[in-house]
Amino acid sequence: MKLFWFEIYKTFSRWRTYISFGFIALIVILTEVVMKLSANEILYRMMRSFERDFLIFGNVLNGWFVTAFIMNSLHIHIPFLITLVAGDIVSNEATSGTVRFLLIRPPSRSKIITAKYFTTLFYTTGLVIFLALICVSLGLILFGGGDLIMNYQNKLRIVFIPEEEVPVRILLAFAAATWSMTVVASLAFLFSTLAENSIGPIIGTMAVVIVFLVIGNFPFDFFRMISPYLFTTYMIFWQGFLDNPIPWPEIGRSAMILGFHSVGLFSIAFVAFNRKDIKS
Amino acid sequence: MAGILFLLSTELIQAQEDATRYLDLIEKKYSGLKDYVVDVNVHFDIETLKAPDMQAKLYFKAPDKMKVDSRKVFFFPKEGGYFNPFVFNKKDFEIKLLERLTHDGKNVVRLKLTPTDTERYNKGFVLTIDTDRNLIREIKISPSEGREIKAAIEYGMFDGFELPICIDLQLDIPGSEPSGMREFTQFGQRAKRITGKVQMTYSNYKVNSGLSDEVFKEKNSHQSKSSP
Repeated sequence: MKLFWFEIYKTFSRWRTYISFGFIALIVILTEVVMKLSANEILYRMMRSFERDFLIFGNVLNGWFVTAFIMNSLHIHIPFLITLVAGDIVSNEATSGTVRFLLIRPPSRSKIITAKYFTTLFYTTGLVIFLALICVSLGLILFGGGDLIMNYQNKLRIVFIPEEEVPVRILLAFAAATWSMTVVASLAFLFSTLAENSIGPIIGTMAVVIVFLVIGNFPFDFFRMISPYLFTTYMIFWQGFLDNPIPWPEIGRSAMILGFHSVGLFSIAFVAFNRKDIKS
Repeated sequence: MAGILFLLSTELIQAQEDATRYLDLIEKKYSGLKDYVVDVNVHFDIETLKAPDMQAKLYFKAPDKMKVDSRKVFFFPKEGGYFNPFVFNKKDFEIKLLERLTHDGKNVVRLKLTPTDTERYNKGFVLTIDTDRNLIREIKISPSEGREIKAAIEYGMFDGFELPICIDLQLDIPGSEPSGMREFTQFGQRAKRITGKVQMTYSNYKVNSGLSDEVFKEKNSHQSKSSP
């Protein structure tokens, strides 16, 4: 536990750690202010398939919708912010020349790598919670509350969630998003364990995420065949909590697959770190 | 030859007058209806719209003012969603009697209403009118741009007026293409049609309570010329 807090202290002493929080704050504030100014255009785009035949009353463009919109837009960018710390947490010891000093101290390698991994998870969770807090609080201040209407254009349908259910659903969605980001963090952590510098793990992780996302989205049979084997396919399972009815079996399956990935990646990192040669 | 033409045109005028008579009778029946306030529950059974039942208060003032009051988000069909007996004004339509028949043991007529001013009304209607009770039982919006809408109306008696207790709306309308840039996964997908049923049930009528025009000046009010 001491090691964990020590790692937390080290991580949050670096200015680089706060880049992600600053970036998220900037993007969310910018997005929500622009959305407020372009409310009519957004409403038109959202509702145009239904506005021709239905009169729509009430606060459709509300804080919950804005939060879901930002989550949808940022789920590709957040991994990059996570790698900034996760990709640096182990390799940084090599870069700054402290790895030998660290490993000759009494705590075992296993304890050190576990503490570092939990620090990575702590940072990842913190980042997603920060995103949730800033999205929801600013969204509700600027746009107010209301029922959540999700326009799933890829499924060509609209889902309507009553306001009473929305906070719990959003909470579950963010918890699921954190779970998804854990895989990215674990991948970056593994690369960080294997590398001697921080740039490689950051770029490597992003390369894997981007390539998997692109392959998983190509509308060709070959890529469709591959996509179930890519962890990125399951990373959007948080959207299930904003669907009606909630697809629990699908969510459970995705969560399990992502969990296996995280455990697997950490296990490899654990073994690699324990076998790491620090003499040469 | 001239005689035959004269006879035909007299029959035509007779049929035309007969057709407008049914609308006159409905107008007369509801001439005392100045306004009403009613609670409406909307139930959606549409594949592309997953929504729980929605509730609102609906205000109507003759001849064409309507307002919906809802604390929550509320979707309401533009056509066939609420009852306005004054919308089918014979001055605005060319009315043709299609047929007389017995439907569910009731004597009914089918009238075809074609708008005379196409800028004001962009579609025609086929009305099924119960001639025994002078009630519009069914409104079918003439298919245009691939849209088909049919409303079946059930009535109850409220303060001396027969007003809808339930309107069953059947929709088969084209959806829109997804806006903006399409995602990879959307290639090859065509806009899905919005098909299904919307059921509106009405309760707690307050008839002729003397609604002021101010009520309809607030937001959420809607002045409908083209929607029955």
